[in-house]
Amino acid sequence: MGIEALADRQLTGGLAELPALIRRVVASRIRDANAIDDLVQETLARVMTAQARLDDSALAPYAVVVARNLLSAQWRQDVRFKQHAHRLIDLTDASRPEDQVLQREESRAVASALAQLPEGERQTLIAHEVEGQATSDLAAKSGSTAGAVAAQLHRTRAKLRVEYLLALERTRLPTERCRPVLLSLSGGERRRQRELDAAGHLLECPECAGLSGPLLDRLDGHPEGEEAIIAVRSDRDVVRARQRGREIAAQIDFSSTDLTLIATAISEVVRNIVRFADHGQLRVRVIEDAARRGLLIVARDVGPGIPDVDRALRDGYSTYGGLGIGLPGVRRLMDEFSIASELGKGTTITMAKWVHA
Amino acid sequence: MATVNQTEQAHQISVSILRQGAYLIASIHAALDDEELGRFQRDLIRQITKSRSRGVIIDVGALDVLDSFGSCTLRNLALMARLQGAVTVIVGIQPDVAFAMVHLGIHLEDVHTALGLEEGLARLDELTGAGGARSARGSA
Ligand SMILES: [Zn+2]
Repeated sequence: MGIEALADRQLTGGLAELPALIRRVVASRIRDANAIDDLVQETLARVMTAQARLDDSALAPYAVVVARNLLSAQWRQDVRFKQHAHRLIDLTDASRPEDQVLQREESRAVASALAQLPEGERQTLIAHEVEGQATSDLAAKSGSTAGAVAAQLHRTRAKLRVEYLLALERTRLPTERCRPVLLSLSGGERRRQRELDAAGHLLECPECAGLSGPLLDRLDGHPEGEEAIIAVRSDRDVVRARQRGREIAAQIDFSSTDLTLIATAISEVVRNIVRFADHGQLRVRVIEDAARRGLLIVARDVGPGIPDVDRALRDGYSTYGGLGIGLPGVRRLMDEFSIASELGKGTTITMAKWVHA
Repeated sequence: MATVNQTEQAHQISVSILRQGAYLIASIHAALDDEELGRFQRDLIRQITKSRSRGVIIDVGALDVLDSFGSCTLRNLALMARLQGAVTVIVGIQPDVAFAMVHLGIHLEDVHTALGLEEGLARLDELTGAGGARSARGSA
């Protein structure tokens, strides 16, 4: 998808109304203004991370689901903290046997999920992920193409994630629609999501709503895939953030030119945070889809927001850029770029670059 | 001046300013944050005034990023140097960095640039009309 088409999709796809919607959901449950701002920004960041895998019609319902999940997590954390605040030291000791139990649970879930896969798919997946066979070798063996093998692996992984979560959470799916919906979310198949009305289902099915978070907001099962989270408060963080971002990007096969474009884009957005917002955060991590790897960058700030995102994305207009270059330039540096902004609250910029073969 | 010496010492690892005849050669050796960049700008202008330099080379070969703020600072520096009677040539912009700047929409057309130090010095000779003064190079 071209940059222009993608940006148009973001801006006309109802993304502009998301912050207000999320705020309504969050504000109906908690009072503390700072906590509300944080939760709205966190929800936005997660929705935007997942948007590449979601059909437009599912963005708003997914935002509601994420906000609800975060609210209950926050609420649970508060309660737990209050209950255990007086014995924090005991807690750190006690966590070890719990960790072991958790690990046992996880391997049980993986085994059970693998058992759900068709024999052929399971063997291909293991040959690729465990034995490290290249997709081109696997294609030669099966008389197929590397692209077709990669696409099949993508579908298999999507299936595995769903089965793994079901086994881990010991969820029983209440309807026939549940599994196909979860598969379409996990695989990022937008057309299928529309056919199934995945959006509508998320809102009415608590089981699927609960699983949609881990399915969409995930570190794409990538062995080296680490996420860097850089707090942004002062101009020193500009250099720090772009150096850290470049390090993460260097883990995959970006050209030196692409590494420079990425570092420059990070430098610009982080500087915007420093100049125009109170503080913010940058997250950088390696992502992959069916056939390629890339870098995902999410910058969010707590600040004034952008009054008119459309105008801010036009060349020569510098509401947010100050230096007259700003966001249109950054968009040209990346393959994918989108913004969600809430006036008086903050801005979230999500951008990605793919490794070009 | 004590303050100048102190500042020089404080970040001599990141930047250096050397005098060569009527020219100053300033090199940035590492990524600078905004404060360091601002200090570099002040130091360089002060040195230009003090030594009455006619030309300044700024070597940015070690920079892996020149974002809009960095470019803007360089452009301002050149302008301020001009007001002190010195011509500025920026040298050593890496090809990848230049590519990123173009994509970003940054133009340095009002600033002189050259490939490396040698070319930069030749360019300064040309611009200041000092070709004869540097006999080893000859006039351009
Ligand atoms: Zn369901």
